[in-house]
Amino acid sequence: MTDTPAPAPVSLTGRVHANAAVSSGLIRLDLELEAPCGFQPGQFAMLNLAGRRAFVFSRPFSIFAAEDRLMSFLYRVVGRATAAMAELGDGETMVMLGPLGRPFPAPDPGRRAVLVAGGVGLPPVHSWWARYRRPGDAAFFGGRDGADVPWGLLDESWGVSVDDPGGVPAGREAFHGLVTQLVESRPDLDRGPAELFACGPEPLLKAAGRLAADRSWRGWLSLEEHMGCGYGACKGCVVAVRDEERRPGAWRTATCCLEGPVFAAEDIVWDAATAPHAGGEACDAGGAP
Amino acid sequence: MSLPAWWTTDPLASFELGGRTVPGRIWTASGCFAYGLTGHEISAPGFASPYEGVGAVVTKTVTPAARPGNPMPRLAETRHGAINSIGLENVGYAAFLAETLPELEARGVPTIASLAATRPEEFGTMTARLHEAARGMDHWHGVEINLSCPNVAEGGHDFGSDPGTVAECVAAARAALPDRPLLAKLTPNVARVADLARAAADAGADAVSAINTVIGLDVDLATGRPVLPRRFGGYSGPAIQPIALAKVDEIVQRAGVPVVGVGGIETAEDALKFFALGAVAVQVGTAQMRDPFAAARIARDLRPA
Repeated sequence: MTDTPAPAPVSLTGRVHANAAVSSGLIRLDLELEAPCGFQPGQFAMLNLAGRRAFVFSRPFSIFAAEDRLMSFLYRVVGRATAAMAELGDGETMVMLGPLGRPFPAPDPGRRAVLVAGGVGLPPVHSWWARYRRPGDAAFFGGRDGADVPWGLLDESWGVSVDDPGGVPAGREAFHGLVTQLVESRPDLDRGPAELFACGPEPLLKAAGRLAADRSWRGWLSLEEHMGCGYGACKGCVVAVRDEERRPGAWRTATCCLEGPVFAAEDIVWDAATAPHAGGEACDAGGAP
Repeated sequence: MSLPAWWTTDPLASFELGGRTVPGRIWTASGCFAYGLTGHEISAPGFASPYEGVGAVVTKTVTPAARPGNPMPRLAETRHGAINSIGLENVGYAAFLAETLPELEARGVPTIASLAATRPEEFGTMTARLHEAARGMDHWHGVEINLSCPNVAEGGHDFGSDPGTVAECVAAARAALPDRPLLAKLTPNVARVADLARAAADAGADAVSAINTVIGLDVDLATGRPVLPRRFGGYSGPAIQPIALAKVDEIVQRAGVPVVGVGGIETAEDALKFFALGAVAVQVGTAQMRDPFAAARIARDLRPA
């Protein structure tokens, strides 16, 4: 894997340049920052309202695009902070800390790239596609239904799937089923070595990880995790990852914001992450109390 | 903001605490800035680093053995604060001494090590090993003992709430720390915090840090259950600032013990309230998570013209 060094993170204010729906559930936010800021596909930024309207914690959002002083994000209203963001009008101020986290790797010249995004997991996958796509690579997006798909952001190169076939606009096509099933319906993708890049809700990531393992593809998953700080200060966003160096089958907690949000699919231990208190027991072998 | 006439202290000037010179009065609080090795590469307009003007970084608490911490979710944001249940995840004492401390010294991070243990005598052995490992280090400025760790030996009670146990822990650490400041971080979850402060000072603490988090809980209405798997956690952020101010005042007025103020400090105005009550320094905690430059901004804003 070839890594381009990511630019150093910076704390900047930005003004809302655009904040409008791109589908029934997804909103695109364009911030005009006070200074230029670059990123690598897969990196994220912590966003918050400015001044007295700020939430106690900023929220993590994958970066959709960035050029010069303009930085773009996609979000869905899921709680208090995103509801407040959706109310922001042009010119209102936000604060941005980024770019943060480990990006997706650049393409491996010896492997076909297969990209899979679900819902609000589109930004890291879309930005990778925009920057690195090569002939023979393939990108897929899964939405809830036709109205949920941001058609204007997905050119004809994208394969699209929907859980519910309603609302697909005339002239566009969508596979009825899971986005990973759409990938499986393309046997041409299984000719030769490949690597898979995925971001989306946990069921999608698990399915993508299984798909990669079944086909002996390399897999890179960008995790969506709650975060307190985004820069490794608070240990509030841990995920369980394999720690085979210490002991076969052992795992450790990794800080998602620093070591992730992109992880090798084979390193993620899904069961440990959901089993309460498993951490203490599993780590005992390594000397924990 | 314009600074009040009574404020004439340069927060970036070094001051004496426990017979040693500490580089400044605006610190970061334990648990909110990792070990002091994170975020060095972040910049902001007017700041080359989040460490500019920070007098001391109180490290994430380290324990005798590494701890994996609690299951997710570990954080619950409330309207005016945050509840955490990180579970003292840390690298463990041996790794801290062998790897973290030398790197802090190499980077020149002014460091106060936060230690927690489940038995008073462990504070003594940990402090002694730290003292040995840090021999000759210029940037290690002392120890803060975290007295809000559940006491396994006494059935899970918060052993920092008993003045006798506080005194035992402080005395054990003091005996091993002849030449660096020793602070005891006190819990606010008691009726008389001044008694804890008095006990800590009598046992040899140079100052107390007040306050640690307030016990708090939030409920997820969708499930009808507490948000955090362990039900309650440590409540912090702007909501607890008046509680912290009251505890600091009680300690200063009734125990006469030097206090490092901590609790809900986000701005220079917030910090000034603690200084007005007599705090010798302040720590910035939860605000550091939203803004890595919170302490640096406060230090800059509090410099007299």
